[in-house]
Amino acid sequence: MSVDLDQTPRSLLISERSSFLDEKSRISSQVEQQHFNYKVSVLLPECGPTPSHLDSVLNSFSSFYLIRQLPIYELLDKHFLETAVYQGSVYGLSYRTRVDEENCVALMPNGRLCLSLDKDSFQVLGVEGKPSRFNHRANSRYVVSVDLTDSSMAPGGRGYLRLLTGLRSRLHLKTDFVLSHHPGGGASLQSLLSRHDWSEHRPEISHHALTNLSCPALPTSDLQSCDPHSFLEWLGAMDADVSCENSSSSFLSSLVCPEPKTTLSRALSVSVCGLLLPQDIHRLIQELRCYLEQPRLESWASLTVHGFVDSPVSWGGGEHGVLRGGENLYTLLMFHDHTYHLHLATGAHDTCPP
Amino acid sequence: MRRVDRKDESTVYQRVVLKNASPYHYMKVCLVLEDESTRLSAVEFKCFIISGLKSLFGEVGAALTFDLLKYDEDTLTALLRVCSRGLVKLWSSLTLLGSYQNQACAFRVLQVSPYLLALTGNSRELQLY
Repeated sequence: MSVDLDQTPRSLLISERSSFLDEKSRISSQVEQQHFNYKVSVLLPECGPTPSHLDSVLNSFSSFYLIRQLPIYELLDKHFLETAVYQGSVYGLSYRTRVDEENCVALMPNGRLCLSLDKDSFQVLGVEGKPSRFNHRANSRYVVSVDLTDSSMAPGGRGYLRLLTGLRSRLHLKTDFVLSHHPGGGASLQSLLSRHDWSEHRPEISHHALTNLSCPALPTSDLQSCDPHSFLEWLGAMDADVSCENSSSSFLSSLVCPEPKTTLSRALSVSVCGLLLPQDIHRLIQELRCYLEQPRLESWASLTVHGFVDSPVSWGGGEHGVLRGGENLYTLLMFHDHTYHLHLATGAHDTCPP
Repeated sequence: MRRVDRKDESTVYQRVVLKNASPYHYMKVCLVLEDESTRLSAVEFKCFIISGLKSLFGEVGAALTFDLLKYDEDTLTALLRVCSRGLVKLWSSLTLLGSYQNQACAFRVLQVSPYLLALTGNSRELQLY
């Protein structure tokens, strides 16, 4: 029994070091493969007001749309498929549904529709699926994944009709749904939106200025020189506005900045929340690289992206779930010389990031 | 000068996979009291949790070190940090803490993660209506 008490569920942290100039750098695909991003936060050391270029990139993040009580079979509508799914990429996710206890739906940019269903719903739906990887002992959750761009799923085809009947006549799955389209935006989704109760939302930006903070010294050369866990803890403390100025004998908290450390007179923390597209995050990374090219006091910047906790998929369409927490996040630490450190973190119910 | 030296190494690719290596776990907890006007200071809050550890695990349990990283007196919400080995002990003692100064109370565990960063980016907090 004492052994069990000490154990915690699996967690994975993958740290990579590479350079943007390296041909084999996979950073773009790693950013693109994380489809459903909830929050991006940027930390700029020794930076006062938000640089104007950065501000304009943040303000140009795409809007997203919320449809209330969307019957999921509407996603199979022929007109919607032709104007949105076949043309460009749709990012859609059920909203306020919990993947550990409810049915969740995701429409991925490659046209794949993923349904994470409890056993009853799966049997009522009557479409081929697989037991979830994260079932414990008994199979209580199933995943149905259909490629809507496949020829068998063309409107009128057998597979299409089977799924449509299942969703419309048997399962009656309805949920609030957030979605976004690249590159068409709202215009491409108009046919779907117009038939339902919908609202448009802008990603919410917040700025936070930090002053007189201690910061770990960050050498670009080696991943191991600054322990990834300590660095992420420090970054988390900055994000949550937790003080690192404690002594080891302090009663309340002994959290300190990892050694070796330096002191920053100020720093800027900016975050954006909503359904964020990987393309927008990519533009933000490019802008931060430009920002770092100018001579500065501190030659690094960090960017953290949090995925949706309740998304049924995470990196590259791999299955995702929630055990104690559904964290799937990555932190990109960029340096002046175009090298970067990438830390990808997942919780217990997740596949290994790419 | 340092930057020039690094140029040679800039193309070196490194990948390290760490499994279950997180030294700490972080919890976001909220104390719900029967009498909502009761206020606790950060020190009282931490002492209360220690008393819970002591009543469940005895003196040895009360010696478990954890940190109160952040505390909001108005909402009685706190961020805790505990070494990964102590997570189950801390969590179970929070669950079993049922009374504060003769009034019923309960700890709500809002989020648990091996990454402090995850506690600031919880998509379940997204409010669109």
